[in-house]
Amino acid sequence: MRSLRIGFLLGFRQIQRANFWTTVLIVFVMMLTFLNLIAVSGILVGLIAGSERAVQDKSIGDLIITPLDNEEKILQTETIRRILDTIPEVTSYSIRYQQSVQITANLETRRDLNTEPNVIGARAVGIDPRAEDAVTALSENVIEGEYLDPDESGYILIGALNLDRYTAGFADITGSLENVFPGDSVRVTVNGASREFIIKGIVNAKAGDVASFVYLPERELRRLSSSASRDADEIAIRLEDKTPETGNEVKAILVSQNIDSFALVRTFQEALPKFLTDIKNTFNILGTFIGAVGIIVASITIFIIIFINAISRRQQIGILKGIGIDRKAIEVAYVLQSAFYALVGSAFGVLVTYGFLIGYFDANPIDFPFSDGILVAEPIGTLYRFIILFIITLFAGFIPAWIIVRQNTLNSILGRK
Amino acid sequence: MEIIKATNIHRKFGEGDLEAHILKGIDLSVQEGEFIAIMGKSGAGKSTLMYQLSVLDEPTNGNIEINNVCVSQLTEHQRTAFRLNTLGYVFQNYALVPDLSAEENVMLPLLMRGQNWQEARTNARQAIDAVGLVGKYLNLPAELSGGEQQRVSIARAVAGKPKILFADEPTANLDTVSGIQVIDLIAQLNKNYGQTVVMVTHEREYAMGCNRIINMQDGQITNIEQLR
Repeated sequence: MRSLRIGFLLGFRQIQRANFWTTVLIVFVMMLTFLNLIAVSGILVGLIAGSERAVQDKSIGDLIITPLDNEEKILQTETIRRILDTIPEVTSYSIRYQQSVQITANLETRRDLNTEPNVIGARAVGIDPRAEDAVTALSENVIEGEYLDPDESGYILIGALNLDRYTAGFADITGSLENVFPGDSVRVTVNGASREFIIKGIVNAKAGDVASFVYLPERELRRLSSSASRDADEIAIRLEDKTPETGNEVKAILVSQNIDSFALVRTFQEALPKFLTDIKNTFNILGTFIGAVGIIVASITIFIIIFINAISRRQQIGILKGIGIDRKAIEVAYVLQSAFYALVGSAFGVLVTYGFLIGYFDANPIDFPFSDGILVAEPIGTLYRFIILFIITLFAGFIPAWIIVRQNTLNSILGRK
Repeated sequence: MEIIKATNIHRKFGEGDLEAHILKGIDLSVQEGEFIAIMGKSGAGKSTLMYQLSVLDEPTNGNIEINNVCVSQLTEHQRTAFRLNTLGYVFQNYALVPDLSAEENVMLPLLMRGQNWQEARTNARQAIDAVGLVGKYLNLPAELSGGEQQRVSIARAVAGKPKILFADEPTANLDTVSGIQVIDLIAQLNKNYGQTVVMVTHEREYAMGCNRIINMQDGQITNIEQLR
């Protein structure tokens, strides 16, 4: 206790009387180390988290209902619809019908029937434009032209990945339509039945297959495919809040209503493709590894700072020991300095991360080809990383102090080796 | 009463051809309340002898008893505690902690002895007053002259009322006036409070106020002058 008290006095005064700019520099280094530890893994994980968030917001919603494994369609879709209408947590839902279609473009300009037709195979999604927009804000993903008007017919939205203009480089693999713009007519063919539609808009989003599909009103798709059944392929549900807890609660309600006999009910987390979760975990490990390198660099920095500090005060340390001050007190003084640098540096790091970076990346996601990257920094993960940084910094301060303090007292006093 | 008893003290450094035999069988006895000066030319071994007597170093051979404790049998930890509780030190370069104020420097060994903050501060201020630096409690060492710093160093050494005060050339870095003031201060401590003092100096005029002068040459005591 005495050693602790004296160590605090010595350490506190050393910090207090230290050169201001030197202290600022060390704290800055510690802050960068903290940011390296949090931000690198945060952005790597954020790449996937951004993708997950986009899938949740723009594709599958907070809950998704799909056909049972041995069924092609969701059974009793109308019953499910009625149940969904009674659950207050459900703010909106979109019933989707899917159909493989063939789309032929440039109908007016193709004069020579011997040339290759401008045609692709695509997946058409029949939607209620208003309901779909309420769940996934599909209208916000229209990058050319306009969104479907629920009161109009004969219009279609085309995903950008079906167009040559947006798939340069990999169009040969997927096939694509050339020179297609909003206002052009395309022919949609389902099982030999065809109908012309006018392209109302082009849709693009870095979320699942949103940009791969074509969208048209569900009644027109069902009419085209001559399907009398009202059983759907997918029901995407938006809840009043996006938390997994609410998702699980509503899922439980649906299961209690026996919906799991008609369809598969999954929360957003359950419906996520496994590879996304795997990549996320891999990136987390990678980020932690890169952060660990940062910690090693920071600990060496602290080691050198404390070592130089202690060795330049070697004679003073010898004299303190000479007059009877316990070694532990002197070691505590240097450990306290390290703790100060780690704490203040990390505090600034936390301020920058939570006060600026997270908000900034939320508002300005990093434009990666397959997702809009955000910064993910879970408070509990940040706390663990801080504890690791703090403990390692304490050791980095303690070891050089220990090396100097354990030297022969008289040799230290006299400056002998 | 005998407070220091050194018997057949040898101190060697290095090994083989590089071995240097600095102290060659010193016998010395110091009485409680005595003020002795150790003198000699450079390389005579006077500082090395003082380091042995003040438990800052261990003799290669020989035995030292201080206040009836055989210090050569103490562990490193016990030696540190012994120095804290029994001995006081004044070094030639003042040896104050530059980041601590005058009173905090004096408080350090008092806090280490277990005094609480208030008690240590009161005692530190009394010690600072006693060395003639009234009111300079909060000055940093850099804000004090060399003589004043050495006075703070003396205050630190005696604040805990040690059995023996060791002073290693306390005037070496001081001008003549400051040097005389420091020596007078140490002499007063001896005279007024019966403080046992062992001082190394190479200036004879500073040693004239002592009880005895131990003259050394080539690692041995050549003669002892009894001044009073």
